[in-house]
Amino acid sequence: MSNRAPVFHAETLTKRFGTLRAVDDVTMAIDRGEIYGLVGPSGSGKTTLIRMLCGLAVPTVGAAELLGSSMPSERRVVEHRFGYMPQERAIYRDLSVAENLLFFGQIYGMLRSRIIERTRDLLDLMKLSDRAKQRTDKLSGGEKQRLSLACALLHEPEALLLDEPTIGLDPALRREFWDHFHELNDNGRTILLSTHYLNEAEWCDRVGLMQLGRLIAEGTPDALKAMASARSGQERPDMEEVFLILTREGVAGGVS
Amino acid sequence: MKLYRIAAVTERVLRQLWHDRRVLVFMLMLPAIAMLLFGYSFSGDITDVRIAFIDEDNTDLTESILESLQDAEAFKVTVLDSVNDPQHLLLSEHYQAVIRLPDKFTSLYYAHFAMGVATSAQGTVDLTLDESDPQIAATIRMGLADAMMDLGEGGPVDIETRELYGVEVRFIDSFAPAIMGFVVSLLSIVLTLLSIVREKVDGTFSRVWVSPVRRAEFILGYVIAFGLIALVQSLVVLTIGKTVFDIVINGSIFWAFGCTILFAVGSVGLGTLLSALAQTESQAIIFFPLVILPSVLLSGMMWPVQAIPRLLRPLTYLVPVTYSNRLLRAVMVKGLAPWQEPVGFIGVLVFVVLTIALSSVVLRQSAGERE
Repeated sequence: MSNRAPVFHAETLTKRFGTLRAVDDVTMAIDRGEIYGLVGPSGSGKTTLIRMLCGLAVPTVGAAELLGSSMPSERRVVEHRFGYMPQERAIYRDLSVAENLLFFGQIYGMLRSRIIERTRDLLDLMKLSDRAKQRTDKLSGGEKQRLSLACALLHEPEALLLDEPTIGLDPALRREFWDHFHELNDNGRTILLSTHYLNEAEWCDRVGLMQLGRLIAEGTPDALKAMASARSGQERPDMEEVFLILTREGVAGGVS
Repeated sequence: MKLYRIAAVTERVLRQLWHDRRVLVFMLMLPAIAMLLFGYSFSGDITDVRIAFIDEDNTDLTESILESLQDAEAFKVTVLDSVNDPQHLLLSEHYQAVIRLPDKFTSLYYAHFAMGVATSAQGTVDLTLDESDPQIAATIRMGLADAMMDLGEGGPVDIETRELYGVEVRFIDSFAPAIMGFVVSLLSIVLTLLSIVREKVDGTFSRVWVSPVRRAEFILGYVIAFGLIALVQSLVVLTIGKTVFDIVINGSIFWAFGCTILFAVGSVGLGTLLSALAQTESQAIIFFPLVILPSVLLSGMMWPVQAIPRLLRPLTYLVPVTYSNRLLRAVMVKGLAPWQEPVGFIGVLVFVVLTIALSSVVLRQSAGERE
């Protein structure tokens, strides 16, 4: 469990549901301090990969490791050290904003005074301070998502797994979320997130392209652009074009 | 296992219910409504049965038979003059029975006993009875038999009665324990089921699953929350039972609450089990009649298990409420300790252990294999 172990590590990780290979032979390692974006269409296996890395799904083949601990068998060792934001907003609709945070703080064993302090800071950060007593089913979509992120950050985890954190947000709010991500990253957090907004890939340190359960290409945004450019001969492709070129050729080319 | 995490789950469940006022009101109203509705409509005391009484003998003896019938709460007795056709009264005047004491009834009655030996001399009561409603017909037969027995001195047989488990237990007295078990279990099952299915749909279950909360802590949190609610509901049932229906409680209130809470624990387990079979809230609702119908029809709540056809009777032993009925009735009506009703007590214990153990297993599956 040394600090030099990758924060997230997948080794020939495979998950089958019946005959469907939701995640197919994925090997990847994400180091401390990175923002890593899983990019791909819905159904490409991003969610299942994240669920295996945080111990929610059991791998069919291969190994998933989080902060050096094998998941899900050793998840108790690291359970306090990571935060998870599921794709569903995963907040209690019949509790208030503050009560949601109170509950998630309590189950992590935080002192009530500390929870109150963190709640104040996070609601401030997420611009939800005036909503603290509001029931969450009265919140707008964006507000729910900000609360959901706050719930994942509450216990100050060093590793974050965020499943489609910006889905359904307007462009301005998505920018705001990314400002939060970079700020968290500057404070030493490692972030693994998934998105199907291709332009968001630009803002990651490293990007993994997923298609049909396979990790078909991986690298910095610039490296992926160069790769696409070399393949297609197209000058300065944007991320959308990169994705189209690499997914077209990825399976045939066998890049991983 | 950490107490603060169990407490966190309990606090959260209670807060959720507190916010959902409709559910909260429903939770407190249901036992009240059930008690009032069932208590009044199923009180079992048949009243206002119209009876025509024709006395052709007119003696002190026949007079005392009439008085007995008039004293019975079930009957509204109308005294009529002699008629030729009693059936006609049933049809046109809508009497449910015509009781005719013919001329010489009294002298024949006494003659029968005066001889000291068997004799064919016998007083005859002429009863014309509407059999279309067997329950009413039975009430009339019983009322008439009671009236004959009331003749006392010189009557044919004297029945010496020793009443066990309380004098004159009415339907409502033995119904209150049943409704307590039924309502508490119904609400615990339904609310646990809905709550956990909602956690799965909303994804909060995933968040809790990756947190330090253990399965046992999660289940215990729910159990404690609904145990507390069961206590409040039992209080509602008992308060209404006591104030409105003046029910007789022969046993200890302590055991009554204890057994109700124990049963609520099993019901939370059953709700958790069922939650594994539903992916959405609308699927969960399908289970409601599946829980309610057998509980009402096969548990011995409304009518004794002995009144259920032999073929179906084994099924009653699969219905948890059957055991809670036996247990709570033993504790509240008979005034026994739980272990003195072993079938009910062990039945409820097995129910609790089985559902809680199995629900722990299904929770693992609910968390893991989903996409």
